[in-house]
Amino acid sequence: MFSSVLSAAIYGVEAVLVRVEADVSDGLPCFAMVGYVSSQVKEAQDRVRTALRNTNLALPPKRITINLAPADLRKDGSWFDLPVAAAVLGAMGKIPGNSMENTMVAGELGLNGAIQSVSGILPMVLKAKEIGCTKCIIPKGNENEGKVVAGIQIIAVDSLSQFIAFCNMKEPLATEPELQINIETSQADYDVDFADVHGQEAVKRAALIAAAGFHNLLMIGPPGTGKTMIAKRIPTILPMMAQQEQLEVTRIYSVAGLLPEGAALLTRRPFRAPHHTISPQALAGGGRVPQPGEVTLAHRGVLFLDELPEMGKRSMEVLRQPLEEREITVSRLYGTARFPATTMLVGAMNPCACGYYPDLNKCCCTPTSLNSYAGKISQPLLDRLDLCVEVPAISYRDLRKNKESPMNSQQMRQAVEKALDIQKERYRSLDICFNSEITGADLNEFCVLDVGAQKLLEQIFDKMGLSARAYHRILKTARTIADLAGSEVIQKEHLSEAVCYRSPDKNFWRI
Amino acid sequence: MKENVYYYRREDKQYPKRMEHYKGMPKKIYVKGILPDEQLPTAAIVGARMCSPYGRQQAYTYAKLLARHGVQVISGMALGVDSYAHEGALDGGGKTFAVLGCGVDICYPAQNRSLYARIQKQGGILSELALGTKPLAHHFPMRNRIISALSDLVLVVEAKEKSGSLITADFALEQGKTVLALPGRVDDELSKGCNRLIAQGAGVAYSVESVLNELDMEYILKRGICKKSKISIATVKDLVYSCVDLTPRDLHTIMEEVPYSAQEISKALLELQLEGKVWEPFKNYYVRSEVED
Repeated sequence: MFSSVLSAAIYGVEAVLVRVEADVSDGLPCFAMVGYVSSQVKEAQDRVRTALRNTNLALPPKRITINLAPADLRKDGSWFDLPVAAAVLGAMGKIPGNSMENTMVAGELGLNGAIQSVSGILPMVLKAKEIGCTKCIIPKGNENEGKVVAGIQIIAVDSLSQFIAFCNMKEPLATEPELQINIETSQADYDVDFADVHGQEAVKRAALIAAAGFHNLLMIGPPGTGKTMIAKRIPTILPMMAQQEQLEVTRIYSVAGLLPEGAALLTRRPFRAPHHTISPQALAGGGRVPQPGEVTLAHRGVLFLDELPEMGKRSMEVLRQPLEEREITVSRLYGTARFPATTMLVGAMNPCACGYYPDLNKCCCTPTSLNSYAGKISQPLLDRLDLCVEVPAISYRDLRKNKESPMNSQQMRQAVEKALDIQKERYRSLDICFNSEITGADLNEFCVLDVGAQKLLEQIFDKMGLSARAYHRILKTARTIADLAGSEVIQKEHLSEAVCYRSPDKNFWRI
Repeated sequence: MKENVYYYRREDKQYPKRMEHYKGMPKKIYVKGILPDEQLPTAAIVGARMCSPYGRQQAYTYAKLLARHGVQVISGMALGVDSYAHEGALDGGGKTFAVLGCGVDICYPAQNRSLYARIQKQGGILSELALGTKPLAHHFPMRNRIISALSDLVLVVEAKEKSGSLITADFALEQGKTVLALPGRVDDELSKGCNRLIAQGAGVAYSVESVLNELDMEYILKRGICKKSKISIATVKDLVYSCVDLTPRDLHTIMEEVPYSAQEISKALLELQLEGKVWEPFKNYYVRSEVED
């Protein structure tokens, strides 16, 4: 007898429909699995056989053939256990043939018949909804994640016997249908706040500007001055994620298997801080089957790279494309995948190898070592860092003073949200959202300078020897500063502040 | 012989007279460009490679003003003080000479390519080493004796306690030349060498005039009438300018001391920079630049 069940394979962050077919017929007893399956999937047969026996359903001594279609698509993952078991049970006539109609199934089996949670449930449920399935059967552990998607019935099961009982309509649905998980739309709570940062007003201001225009930021300063602390707090001043954004982020984490247990939607913006020894593959995405890398895991959030010059040259160069295109295409042995990568890059570095330049009483570097340290960051990467700010050593006075409480994250976020509303309005007809995404042609249209600012820019350009690129960056930053101030045109003070935060040129470290 | 490079043996009449009297002078000297004029007063300006903005400014200013008085400036074309001394002399329209620790056909350090080219047009590159000789560490202390021999006085701008510039000063003393040191603050690592020289009896270079006096010359340039470093325009700019010092101060400190918003302060700083009154030696560090003539 023949039976088939729907399931899905994951490619990138997308689910691809897979039909699991089973046939039980006379012949030499065997259990054969075909359909370009990885060894992970092949192992399903032993788990299915044992789990069924431990649920008092021994497999008959017959020829059982499993096929996973389409046969030219490689299948990876541990969630094919339950669909294989379901297909076998259907073929054996243990569950009614129509019970698996319009149903997507995924789950991993334990030897005792328990169903364990798996990764990638969210994209599968979204796919199921897209192709018109009416229900999804998923592990109990993934229930919250599955219920994020509205308009499809989610049946969460925690054992094979419960699954069979449900299929035979013996057991009523464990949960009420159409229950939407309660998504907290109000506030994502972060356990850090900008109010913790004392002093460093200039850096906080730069962080605010960076957040308001989604600009990449570089912080330069000696060790122990709070660069990491500030970077960690940048997600708290970015606006709340819209539901669509939350779905995007959750989908990535679901695929990567990084969702916390029992989580529904991720409401906090991601903050990723990989160590500087990270390989290009780990940063961009890699593995035999493409898995999301750090740039993708930081999608809609902050990618923080500490000790930027210590990073490998290849790893650093990998960032160039995703920072520009806001997505990354990863081609690996078993396929090619496109991952989203709308991230805000925050870099941090010491001014020199010993960390104390320009304090020449402490710095023990030579001019040569100073240049070679700065030279480790390639110019194309520097070009993508719109803002740059120096983080000075903090004084005792700053640490102790309580004269006025510093701006907290919520106040800063309100300012950012206001600036973002202006941007949203301005770029309605275009497919960009932030000032940092304006390209050459639109620059003159959107970055209108008043007369004073125009004159000033001309002076700066001549006197400071700016490159065309630096000029564009300054204009974009000035646009954001003007938005923060609620000004339609860019004025002199907006421009001069942008110049103050411009990123360094290669010869900046010249002694 | 390579293009534009000459060499003079000790017995040649072009061999610098100033070098003839001393012991340990090289048998021949290579020149790319011209040799220093025997009749003109000559000063060596040397100092640390890793110099502070203070040293950079002083080296430049001293060299520029000396050059305007017709003094030839000699140095070693190293990074830092040496380079700024050459640059100052070139900008002042005077002659300047670089004594290298490698063959005269090699530009070392390579960053100084444009300086190397400029010096050849307005002076000369000198070396006792054969063409193509690599810049090895032990060549550099040796070239210092030529720097001091060629000059009438040696001005040390910035030097740590153990510095190559002090070797030049030692050679100068042995050769009976005047040694002047630019004083600095006592807690400044980069001024310790200079301050020590002063303690040991070196002259104090407290103004360009003091250097000129040592050369039996007088200050002849017109000076601005009582150029007080105060700008009497906007208050923010005034406050910011008075907050900026000769040692670099960071934006954060300025923001703390000047009770205005970040925007206004950055605007003031930018204007001051464009006027040439302030410059930014490093990201978000600002320092006063002395406006001379």
